[in-house]
Amino acid sequence: IVVVEFSPDQVEEFRDAFSLFDETPGGEMKISYAQCGDVLRALGHNPTNDEVLKLLGRPKAEEMHASLLDFQAFLPMLQHVARAKEQGNMEDFVEGLRVFDKEGNGTVMGAELRHVLATLGERMTEDEVDRLMAGQEDANGHVNYTEFVKHILAG
Amino acid sequence: MTDADKFLYGDRSGINDPLAQADWASKKLVWIPSEKQGYEAGSLKEEKGDECVVELFVYFFNPLFFFLTDREDQSILCTGESGAGKTENTKKVIQYLAHVASSSKFKKDQGELEKQLLQANPILEAFGNAKTVKNDNSSRFGKFIRINFDVNGYIVGANIETYLLEKSRAIRQAKEERAFHIFYYMLTGAGDKMRSDLCLEDYSKYRFLSNGKVTIPGQTDKELFVETMEAFNIMSIPEEEINGLLKVISAVLQLGNMVFKKERNSDQASMPDDTAAQKVCHLLGINVTDFTRAILSPRIKVGRDYVQKAQTQEQAEFAVEALAKASYERMFRWLVMRINKALDKTKRQGASFIGILDIAGFEIFELNSFEQLCINYTNEKLQQLFNHTMFILEQEEYQREGIEWSFIDFGLDLQPCIDLIEKPNGPPGVLALLDEECWFPKATDKTFVEKLAQEQGTNPKFVKPKKLKDDADFCIIHYAGKVDYKANEWLMKNMDPLNECVATLLNQSTDKFIGDLWRDVDRIVGLDKVAGMADSGPFKTRKGMFRTVGQLYKEQLGNLMTTLRNTNPNFVRCIIPNHEKKAGKLDAHLVLDQLSCNGVLEGIRICRQGFPNRIVFQEFRQRYEILTPNAIPKGFMDGKQACVLMIKALELDPNLYRIGQSKVFFRAGVLAHLEEERDLKITDVIMSFQAWCRGYVARKAFAKRQQQLTAMKVIQRNCAAYLKLRNWKWWRLFTKVKPLLQVSRQEEEMLAKEEELLKVKEKQIQVEEQLKEFEAKQQQLSAEKQALQEQLHAETELCAEAEEMRARLAARKQELEEILHDMESRLEEEEERAEASDGESHHRRQTEENGGRHHSAGRPE
Repeated sequence: IVVVEFSPDQVEEFRDAFSLFDETPGGEMKISYAQCGDVLRALGHNPTNDEVLKLLGRPKAEEMHASLLDFQAFLPMLQHVARAKEQGNMEDFVEGLRVFDKEGNGTVMGAELRHVLATLGERMTEDEVDRLMAGQEDANGHVNYTEFVKHILAG
Repeated sequence: MTDADKFLYGDRSGINDPLAQADWASKKLVWIPSEKQGYEAGSLKEEKGDECVVELFVYFFNPLFFFLTDREDQSILCTGESGAGKTENTKKVIQYLAHVASSSKFKKDQGELEKQLLQANPILEAFGNAKTVKNDNSSRFGKFIRINFDVNGYIVGANIETYLLEKSRAIRQAKEERAFHIFYYMLTGAGDKMRSDLCLEDYSKYRFLSNGKVTIPGQTDKELFVETMEAFNIMSIPEEEINGLLKVISAVLQLGNMVFKKERNSDQASMPDDTAAQKVCHLLGINVTDFTRAILSPRIKVGRDYVQKAQTQEQAEFAVEALAKASYERMFRWLVMRINKALDKTKRQGASFIGILDIAGFEIFELNSFEQLCINYTNEKLQQLFNHTMFILEQEEYQREGIEWSFIDFGLDLQPCIDLIEKPNGPPGVLALLDEECWFPKATDKTFVEKLAQEQGTNPKFVKPKKLKDDADFCIIHYAGKVDYKANEWLMKNMDPLNECVATLLNQSTDKFIGDLWRDVDRIVGLDKVAGMADSGPFKTRKGMFRTVGQLYKEQLGNLMTTLRNTNPNFVRCIIPNHEKKAGKLDAHLVLDQLSCNGVLEGIRICRQGFPNRIVFQEFRQRYEILTPNAIPKGFMDGKQACVLMIKALELDPNLYRIGQSKVFFRAGVLAHLEEERDLKITDVIMSFQAWCRGYVARKAFAKRQQQLTAMKVIQRNCAAYLKLRNWKWWRLFTKVKPLLQVSRQEEEMLAKEEELLKVKEKQIQVEEQLKEFEAKQQQLSAEKQALQEQLHAETELCAEAEEMRARLAARKQELEEILHDMESRLEEEEERAEASDGESHHRRQTEENGGRHHSAGRPE
């Protein structure tokens, strides 16, 4: 097992980010379970929801907003995610989206893409999809999916 | 396993596969939704009349289309159980053809031939259909209707052949069922005169009408009688013949009223009351004494002598029943022949035909008799044709696509069962053995069964009695299922014996019609043959002189199959949705039963043995490329090559697929499996992508938070600064003074104003220039206008001058003409004067000369 060690500077950075998400009235440096995924992502990783839930020990639905996590508990999760190999690369994603390219011309209907993201796999919310697709559709409502994937992977 | 699972091999997930669905549709099979099980193998047509028309035409278009393009003979084979809709569909087909292929000039008026063709059916239905518990208009006979076309595709004639008329219905009917319709039409619809002519009585008086007067909801027998008579007229069947038919029917009914009793001291039967017999003889034109004697103690040939053989009561009753059935059957056959005569009148040559077969489907009751054997035998052969056709069609596609494989002929699959029934020897089949027993003295149904078990015991399709429940005598495994048969009275049914004496009487009837009906009597199985079986004495059996029912039917069926094999067959499977005569209700279990009985499931089994799923290269690539990333290099590649690479990458067992010219073929279930994998793969990829998407969105949100944090810090700093400075006196002074410093501001304002001025100046110059341009342009245009005006003026003047000139010339012309006219008239006058004076002077000269002579001597000239 490769253990990723963080430098003290890095840990400081993580702590800063962590505190940004702290919404407890007394500033206790704690975040809710529900925020865990967002923090991991904010720090540059891309876990699936399933992976996040696994890290949290498969909590019940009620616990997600009720239970809190402090920084010390959070850090090992970050380590774990940092270790994990990247799932999928640009080509895989382009191939995956190509399936929905009915005309074979490199674009998919924006509406179709929204539909796919919101109904397949780990469904995304309408709001998330809107933010994702902002400015991606051309005048005819088409999206060049290669560009789109590039765009997502770059951000 | 549910029945559905049992019957449907392979992956049920294939059901949701649109490819599988398309495949099935092309093979004339269809899925329908079921409440219980999601999908069931389903019906091709519903029972309700009009909807089935649309569907039938869609399927019918196919044979008609082939027919019109290839001139290949077509056959349409409608099968299905009682009430499923075969006859209705047949009628629609004929109606359609009569309408579309009519050669009459005015399509609105049908031609005579077409009219007659359409009337043939109602007539046959009157005599051959009856109400049963399953169907109010059940056809109690099978038929094959051949419609002949000339080279141009117009109808030139038709021919009907009938099979297996259920003649027993004429003498008895099951509970709630009727005899043939015509009985009721006649008894209800005949007028008084007809009633007395035909000796008709009330319904309750006829023993052969087991249930007396039974009506059919929604039908009036009286009206239908009138319609039937009209139909006869349209077919140009004369009144004597119609009368003949009705007489026979009445006679058949009367035969049932003949009551026999056993004489006190012997077995001899007697007929105390001969009223019924009298009526029979009156109707049939025979002598009542001869008839009575023929029934009670007929003369039978024994060896070389004739003896009067006394008949017992049972024998007499049996004979009379046989007579009634035979009469009805002969009459029916006569009717068919008569109709065929009417339908074949045109002199035009038939070049090809479309044949429609309407015959009962496979029948399995609790116990089955000889009639069921015949029907099931027929269906086995038809199924063989179906399987063979499917095999051919499949093979043709494989050939076209050039794929290598070996295929069993599924038509041959059914041969063992067919052999079991029809093989003449080595070992002999059911029919052959039955015939044999019919020759044997002292043979019984039991000895027949024993022999059958002996000869065919090892046949895999035959199940011997020992293994079955007590009632059945033996069991045959047809393609549709196991059928229990009971051999009671099979010998009788096969021989169908008739009282020869009566037959001879009828042959010599005083009524021409009856005599015609009974014209051939030499092939009858006489009662002596039957009698010979019970007695112990040796009797010479006249082998080969008559034909059994089994033989006749086998031959008939053989001919039919030969005809069908030379056509392009189209199979129509009619399915009855429920047994309650209710519209809109579907009994899934019942439908599934029928699908196994009508061979649809067999057909599926065949297809699944081959490569039932096929997909064109491009589609395969597009759909499953995701399963083989990097298998196909970038850039254009031939569809076929791409597929080959993909399949290699998928590591499929070579036996599971074949690559053709334009498609890839897969065994059952393979594509379904690929579909599943594809779904999983796509979901995987999408999930990974979504994870990245979430990451992206989260990071953007985070960046925003950071910005907010920074902004907040700036605001805080500024607030803090402000709070610090707020109370510093110097600061307060500064803030007060700053706005009063106008100087810097004034400079700014000046600069601004100068800029503005420059801009405005530029604009003005531009506008002036434009203005000049426009003015110049306008002048130019003015000048042009002026020039044009002057030109116009000049032209106008010229025109005026020319006009003047013309006027003058015209005037001058006029003057000159007048002068000319004057001259001419003067000339005339002068000429006249000249003539006149000429004449005068001539005359004067003459007279002068004459007078001069007188004077000339005296005067010198």
